[in-house]
Amino acid sequence: MTRFLRTRPYAFALVLAVILLIANIVAQPAFGNPSNWPETLAIFAPFAIAAIASTPAIMSGGGGIDISIGPLMTVIDMVIVADLLPHGLGSPWIVVPFCLVAGAAVGAINGTLVTVLRFQPVVATLCMNFILTGLATQIEGSVTPQGSTWWTNDLSSSFGAIPGGLISIAAVLLIWFGLSRTAYLRNLYATGGDDAAAFSAGVDVTRVRILAYTIGGLFAGIGGLALMAVLKEGEASDATMYTLVALAAVALGGTAFTGKRGSLIGTLFGAACMYLITNVLSTANVPDTWSDAVYGGLLLIAVIISAGLANATQVRTA
Amino acid sequence: MTTITAARQLASRHLVADLQRRFPLLQVAALVVLYLVGVVTVPGWTTHSTLMSMLIMAALLGIAGAGQTIVVLGGGIDFSVGAFITAGGVFITVLTSVDHWPAWAAIVFSLAVAVAGGALNGVTSFRFRIEPLVVTLGVGALLDGVLTGWVGGAVNGTPPAWTNSAVSVTTSTFGIPLPPIVSIWIVLAVIAGIVLARTRAGRSLYLNGTNPVAARRALVRTGWTWTAGFIVSAVLATFAGILLAGEGGGNLGAGDPYLFQALTAVIVGGTMFGGRGDYWRTVLGALILTVVTYLLEAHNYSTGVQEMVYGLLIMIVVALYGRERKIRDRV
Repeated sequence: MTRFLRTRPYAFALVLAVILLIANIVAQPAFGNPSNWPETLAIFAPFAIAAIASTPAIMSGGGGIDISIGPLMTVIDMVIVADLLPHGLGSPWIVVPFCLVAGAAVGAINGTLVTVLRFQPVVATLCMNFILTGLATQIEGSVTPQGSTWWTNDLSSSFGAIPGGLISIAAVLLIWFGLSRTAYLRNLYATGGDDAAAFSAGVDVTRVRILAYTIGGLFAGIGGLALMAVLKEGEASDATMYTLVALAAVALGGTAFTGKRGSLIGTLFGAACMYLITNVLSTANVPDTWSDAVYGGLLLIAVIISAGLANATQVRTA
Repeated sequence: MTTITAARQLASRHLVADLQRRFPLLQVAALVVLYLVGVVTVPGWTTHSTLMSMLIMAALLGIAGAGQTIVVLGGGIDFSVGAFITAGGVFITVLTSVDHWPAWAAIVFSLAVAVAGGALNGVTSFRFRIEPLVVTLGVGALLDGVLTGWVGGAVNGTPPAWTNSAVSVTTSTFGIPLPPIVSIWIVLAVIAGIVLARTRAGRSLYLNGTNPVAARRALVRTGWTWTAGFIVSAVLATFAGILLAGEGGGNLGAGDPYLFQALTAVIVGGTMFGGRGDYWRTVLGALILTVVTYLLEAHNYSTGVQEMVYGLLIMIVVALYGRERKIRDRV
């Protein structure tokens, strides 16, 4: 068992997610009822995608991190609700490409700042965090903009039999699966493991890293759409919360912040754990005011165990 | 001929870079220029009360950023600063006004919590080799949650009167015409400057930040140094929170905006991860940030624009003096 947990960085999050899922169903039998799944998945989707979008930058190593994912999703949500929908531009043929292009563009700028201009990743994405939060606040104005349209309503419930939340998560995973068929993912792991060695072996480290941030931004674009579908309004103040929760989910999913190991699927399980913890706390008999404390404590313990397991297999260098 | 000119240009460029490394030249220049812009464009910029309120804001930012500076120099990062600032404000407000503790007891209790929380940050990240960003995120979430549970969802009570006078523009410290918080900040800056540059503890911190393996070989007690950095960070953040109580703090979530603001002060000042920088630079960073904020407010820019300017400001500043080495130079 311990060996199983140690050799697979995502295993701890997977086991924990299954336990929490059972706990949720025991605490609230309706949770297991398929008719509630579309709603659950719609709420889970922006949260899971925020975490997944944070992963490629971290995997690219060299202290890589993207703390502008939350604000990026918020800005995209805001632009759809406040600018596109009121001007009759709510067709999916306009909104979806906008989300993808805007997300990828911001990610590419982050990647360029980190690699070409050689900024520290935390610093570069902190700048972007400020700029995007400012932009979201500026667009929001004094009245919280609201809006939705037929297909975004479906995205927050279901398209026929398929839950909308499942579609946005699947879109992200499919893009990643497509990349895993190319050499890109291996180059990303090589770069994250030891950038100097990867560079010496002929990997174009700069390009690999710019792409990692761009992919993160692209995912955040999809996440922004999922966020808009479920919120139906633009709220600038939520941005930081999404960033921090996403990073915790990445850590819980067994991705090392040094870039040496990690996986997207682990992050998905990590995000599932955090969502299920919140959910079980709100249904179990924990007093409302103390649920944050229990959440914080569980998060800390889970992250320590997960990172501890991941580190136990690493060769100690010093 | 052209090669000689090129060589001269290169040499002079290196001269500026060398100077910049030893002394925060660009930061001082930026501060002076920004201040002069204020003098020219904003009426009433040089009055005593404007000056004092700027210093008060800079002092809050500077005290909150002092701990972050130390952690960053040691090679870590502290994302629990916001939670500790909140804790300081909430403890001083609730313990004195609801539970009727004397002020000194409330302060001692807050700082004791800070020592425990900082030690939890440091020991956990060092012992289990977990990224400090993740650990401090978790400890911050735990502390925020415990505070919410303890006060039952919302703070009832008012901060003690002396926290208001500590951050009031009209007060003075023992006859010196400066608000107490500014005097405290000056003392803190002098102590931090001396400790970082002249003591064994300070030098250990720099060495640990630059290269932890080399530091251990040089008999630096890396675990102690690392943990002490986080304890100092938590204590100073809590202290800033206590002072902030008089400035609209003392509520749940009051410290949250200060996490990124204090980090910005550190970065704009020119302290970079792993042993480059000092506290004087953070002092300059806090002053620059304050002057920029006041300038934007005086010209009626909205908070959205202010944040965008913050972002661009850090970008420009870091492009000028905070960049990493090229990968082909590290092979």
